[in-house]
Amino acid sequence: MAKNIKKALKDFWYGKPHTAEEGGRRLGELYEDKTGLLKHREWRGFKDTMYYMYNIWGYNYVHMVTDILKYSKNPIDFFKGTWRYRWMGQTYLPVIHWFERGLQGMRGEALAASAWHYRAMVSASIHQICNFFNADTRLHGGKETEAYKHSFYANETTCGTLFYPWKDAGYQYIPMEMIPYFVTCHVNSHTVLNYIDAVQSIGLPGDPCPMCQAESGLFVLDDVPDSAPFIITCNEACDASVSTHTLQDWFADKPLFALPLPMQFDDPLVKKYCMNEIEECWKFIEEQTGVPFDWECMKKYLERQNKLQRDEWEKWEVASKTDYYPINGVAQALFRIYSTQYGIQGTFWEEASEKVKKIMYKCVEKKINPFPQTRHRVIAWSCAPLYYSNWCTWAYNCWGLNVIINMDSLMFDMEIRTDSYEHMLEDVAQYHMWAPMRRMAVGGMHHIFELWEYMEKFNCDMVAMYDQLQCKGMQGVHGLFEDEFRKRNIKAFWMPHALPDCRTVSRAEIRRQINDYMTTVMHEEPLDPSLLDFDDSMTW
Amino acid sequence: MCKIGKFFLKLLGILFAANAALFVVFFFDLDGKLLFNVVEPFLKKHYDNMERKDVLQEAYDMDKFPKYKY
Amino acid sequence: MRDLKHLIYFENLLQEANNDLVKQAKAEGKRAIGYTCYFMPEVLLDLPGCFSVRLRAPRCVSPDLATYYLSGRVCHYARSLLERALEGGYNFLDAQMGTETCTATCRFQEHLQQKHLDSVEDMRIIDNDDFFCEFTDIPFKNTENSYQHYETQLRAHVLEPLHEHFGVDISDEALIKTIENHNEVCRLINEIGDYRKLDNPTITGYEFHVIQLVSLTCPKELILPYLRETAEEMKTREPDDRKNFRCKVVLAGSENDDPDFTKLIEGCGALVVCDRFCYGAVESRVPIVLEEGKSPLRCIAEHYLKTSNCPRFMPQDEMRARKKRLADLAKEYHADGVIIASNKFCEYWSYERVIDTFILKRDFGLPVCSIEKEYINSASGQLRTRFQAFVESVEIKHIQEGK
Repeated sequence: MAKNIKKALKDFWYGKPHTAEEGGRRLGELYEDKTGLLKHREWRGFKDTMYYMYNIWGYNYVHMVTDILKYSKNPIDFFKGTWRYRWMGQTYLPVIHWFERGLQGMRGEALAASAWHYRAMVSASIHQICNFFNADTRLHGGKETEAYKHSFYANETTCGTLFYPWKDAGYQYIPMEMIPYFVTCHVNSHTVLNYIDAVQSIGLPGDPCPMCQAESGLFVLDDVPDSAPFIITCNEACDASVSTHTLQDWFADKPLFALPLPMQFDDPLVKKYCMNEIEECWKFIEEQTGVPFDWECMKKYLERQNKLQRDEWEKWEVASKTDYYPINGVAQALFRIYSTQYGIQGTFWEEASEKVKKIMYKCVEKKINPFPQTRHRVIAWSCAPLYYSNWCTWAYNCWGLNVIINMDSLMFDMEIRTDSYEHMLEDVAQYHMWAPMRRMAVGGMHHIFELWEYMEKFNCDMVAMYDQLQCKGMQGVHGLFEDEFRKRNIKAFWMPHALPDCRTVSRAEIRRQINDYMTTVMHEEPLDPSLLDFDDSMTW
Repeated sequence: MCKIGKFFLKLLGILFAANAALFVVFFFDLDGKLLFNVVEPFLKKHYDNMERKDVLQEAYDMDKFPKYKY
Repeated sequence: MRDLKHLIYFENLLQEANNDLVKQAKAEGKRAIGYTCYFMPEVLLDLPGCFSVRLRAPRCVSPDLATYYLSGRVCHYARSLLERALEGGYNFLDAQMGTETCTATCRFQEHLQQKHLDSVEDMRIIDNDDFFCEFTDIPFKNTENSYQHYETQLRAHVLEPLHEHFGVDISDEALIKTIENHNEVCRLINEIGDYRKLDNPTITGYEFHVIQLVSLTCPKELILPYLRETAEEMKTREPDDRKNFRCKVVLAGSENDDPDFTKLIEGCGALVVCDRFCYGAVESRVPIVLEEGKSPLRCIAEHYLKTSNCPRFMPQDEMRARKKRLADLAKEYHADGVIIASNKFCEYWSYERVIDTFILKRDFGLPVCSIEKEYINSASGQLRTRFQAFVESVEIKHIQEGK
């Protein structure tokens, strides 16, 4: 009896222990069948539960409102936009559940640090949403407001860095599909299916990259705000990306500048070409806006961006050499891709980065291991399932697989020199050629096989190999990876998925693949058996 | 007890009750349940029934835009 | 119509990549240079001492080994090429001039590279000690910057490697001579192809497809006499008294080196009078014009970027203009409609097909048959039904218009 009371008190104060042997917290039993909603939230111990409730759950609900007031020219537009656009209404509200899925089971420093990454992403997303709605002619009775005239669209894979020179003149770049497509997939995977179906309804086959399908489908469903007078597109990252613009051009019917980047980016001869293309793009913007390129402005934001890059390197240093890195796999991956793609558009990335570094150095100084149940240090390679980006959280909770780094985080891996215009241009060209899904996937297959070097650098002993079924580039190296894994005797499991489309490979199927690998190949027992099999087919 | 003391006690009581209510919402994921079961279906219905432009009727002029070369 | 004298010979040449004329040229000491894409100018690979072979994998229906490497979810063409390579069917190649112009063929070519990876090296797919594979970066636009870049790339990654490896003469004089030969092939193919513009054409789409393909896959010098003879023969070729087709069509779309596909369409009553697809003649047989003040290489670079209608081209005006150019072709060749055929898993043409299908019909009044096909079309029954229905719809349209 006394023992039970003692245990209950201990559980109340510290939360239940992770593993089945220790009595286990059995996180899988928290889920309602199918919906993925929680019967009740996890009791993480008194301190962490209160931290979660006030500093994450409550704090973020409040900030979702205050951010709107901060970034919106008229908050009413925000509600009008929510009513008008499916990606907005269906996605914005379940944001806190997105936190929940990514932070499940986290404790202490891991919980706090990972949540700061999420917080920054939400803030950046609201910033973008407000930019959309401030300028959207549809929400302003067809009127081209000043915000409209001071905005320009770019394809979401065109990196924001290119557009810094017009920031201080009040021009805002809006990545056309980043919120309507990319962010929605993470937050609410139901939304994007409408867009995929829409583009297939006009005759597009089901096999091209589903990301590109969804990006086109947004236009087919007339669900893209009319927030900018012109568009910049690029050829990142694949054939379907290039082709998507043909449909977007038709339906948007605005001046469009194509910014192609060379494919064979190792070749020193391509750099000049790339630099010229970027300069042509800048001339196009000058022509459209009537505002000249501002070198000082470019320099100012690049320096801030460089600082953020150095912060990231500091974090990677800790991640690679110690067990004290407090960011979980999904928070690491998404923060990096969101921040590099959107660029310095507010202070959210820098603020979050500072806070995370503080927590990280506390872990280092006090030798706190934020992921004490780590059995394998995992590197995740290729492109991740957007509808199940939080698989890493599940994998740690269930199997002790701690995803240290992932391929997307390693793109854009450089500082940009600001000592002269020429150096800057050269580096910006290189930077853009190293964009996500590009740095490893094009320009020769040896890039994708840099995996081995990064495995060693980040001290990983296992590979989570994403298998995006509709990515032609990655499918085209499938057999060689199999051969190489065998030859090098590397522990690797494949994770089939269809990027945003959870109907092609369900989350349960992804988990089953990992479970099979861990039991039949690794002969390991789960840390939390309740997470092995559960039905979350209808979840966000 | 003075009036101020009573006021603070009352305030504390209200704060405690509000926190308790908030904790119930938080702990039992009532926000998630409301959004999933009520708000999202309502919004979905709204978006599904929304009148949308038939983009396939959009013009596709061959000469509308110049060649952007610099 | 009287049978073309060399048709069966041409058909036989298309049965293997390493055909009789390729073997003959190799026996004469010439180097065989493989390529897959229009953006690798064949004229450069036809310089003295070497010859171009645009790769095909005829009769490859079950690319099992290649499916292991590339998976079953990339285009059948790329898989077939890799399968044929793995079978040793391209061991005659001395070099592969690669382009990263579409993902699937790029991955195929990267498998041939024999570097970077232990496993690839072990595979030694092309069993030829001299073999090398070199990639050229191809621009996505037809602007001044692109011309310069393309020219630089062609010099660095095509001409210089050919010179370094095989001692090929890459002087301007050699280029000019090769352009002349190339232009003769173009002239002959165009001369033969122009008979498709007649009211009652004296050549079928199938025959033309075969002739165009041999011009892409055989050493130019060796195929030229046959082309000359065929062009002569065409001058006196009489059409059948009764038209043996029900309508004329332009065939547009992705990679197509299968004349049987054209035959299938024609078997349904639609004569293919124009071939605007990869491996077709519309772009590839436009003669190269040498301009004063420009080097031959620069002229070649501009030519290939200016003539291409490939959907990978990104400029806005270009994206739109190529729809009109397709409609203009239908007019030029007196076609009643357009068949747009994209290969399964070809992303460029999947999108282009969607737009073409709407725009050609809506804005140009052209009936369009939009289909998805495989590299080798084993499911011909389904396609036949589609084509027959299309031909009927065109006929009904004619009746309604009182033609």
